[in-house]
Amino acid sequence: MSDQFERRVASALRADVALGDDGARRRVMERIRRDAAERPPVRRSTPWSRATRQSIVGLTLAAGIGGVSALSAIVPPGGGRAAGSIGAAALGDTVASTLRDTLRLVRLMFDAPEARRVAVAGDFNGWSEHATPLVRDASTRQWSVTLALHAGDHRYAFVVDDTRWVPDPRANRAARAADGRTYSMLTVGRATD
Amino acid sequence: MSDRAIIQQVLAGEVEAFARLVDRHYARCARIAVRILGNHEDAEEAIQDAFLRAYRALDSYEHRERFSAWLTRILVNQCRTALARSRRRDAVFADLDLRQAHFAIEAAPDDGAWPELERVLARLPAEQREAIVLRYADDLTYEEMSRITGAGESALKMRVQRAFARLRALLQEVPSV
Repeated sequence: MSDQFERRVASALRADVALGDDGARRRVMERIRRDAAERPPVRRSTPWSRATRQSIVGLTLAAGIGGVSALSAIVPPGGGRAAGSIGAAALGDTVASTLRDTLRLVRLMFDAPEARRVAVAGDFNGWSEHATPLVRDASTRQWSVTLALHAGDHRYAFVVDDTRWVPDPRANRAARAADGRTYSMLTVGRATD
Repeated sequence: MSDRAIIQQVLAGEVEAFARLVDRHYARCARIAVRILGNHEDAEEAIQDAFLRAYRALDSYEHRERFSAWLTRILVNQCRTALARSRRRDAVFADLDLRQAHFAIEAAPDDGAWPELERVLARLPAEQREAIVLRYADDLTYEEMSRITGAGESALKMRVQRAFARLRALLQEVPSV
């Protein structure tokens, strides 16, 4: 390195950063344990086991989508969001258990009576403003959508009329990125929590 | 205990042994991810994803390569993915109306002995930022950096030089520096 400036930059880059709280490492291991419980042990990773897992994921998604229409009974009226178990009456116990541990159904609701279109964008759909539209109830004119989400934290916001991005007024938490921008936070627990 | 011995334990079915690898490498991953992404939440998520991917692929890890370098390669890929995602998010959030946010805001934690540097890092082109962070936050050689990033050593040296030049300009170097 040629000069003092470069040495100082290098020294600053080598300095540790205080990332998150003491739980950051614990959260890594929580994900590892969850993963270990949901899939075959890493030592047994074979073409056969990988194919098996893919079929379970496919079923999981299918159940998430198919279960949406049966959800109204578990969503409290007027509630901001609620999570329930996946209906899996037609599935075997083993698969149903896997599904419950893998995805939770979460309903998001949004009041925007004048809006022509509302969608939700978030980590779960690559921040696409079109992939996950909300549907307006004909009588209450309230917008809603039910999502099948993995346990953990999810960041999202609503997209009104394809142009205006707003955080969820019902969200318990929001976070501001380092650049000052804000989004809503949603924590999905495991069904067994 | 070596990384290699820990990996053998995990592959033998001791999932909890992986925690030793997390403890051993987390701080290094944090130095890299926070400075590449400039955002603590995205960094924590990228690190979680990297460790998870490493765990899932542990049976394909080859001991010819240092575990730390292998993990760094996974982490850099996760950071690149997160950057692409945040660019998209930032573009759309530029229109965010904060008056509609009627809830408590969790401010991003502030850290760093040279806050101005942390801020201007975000203004470097992504390739330059990645190169200078890997070179110094992880003390990698250019040969190691080349294996991790897929870029040639001469290109990486050029990126680091340009990063220094850009940082110098951005920080409006003062005589005391």
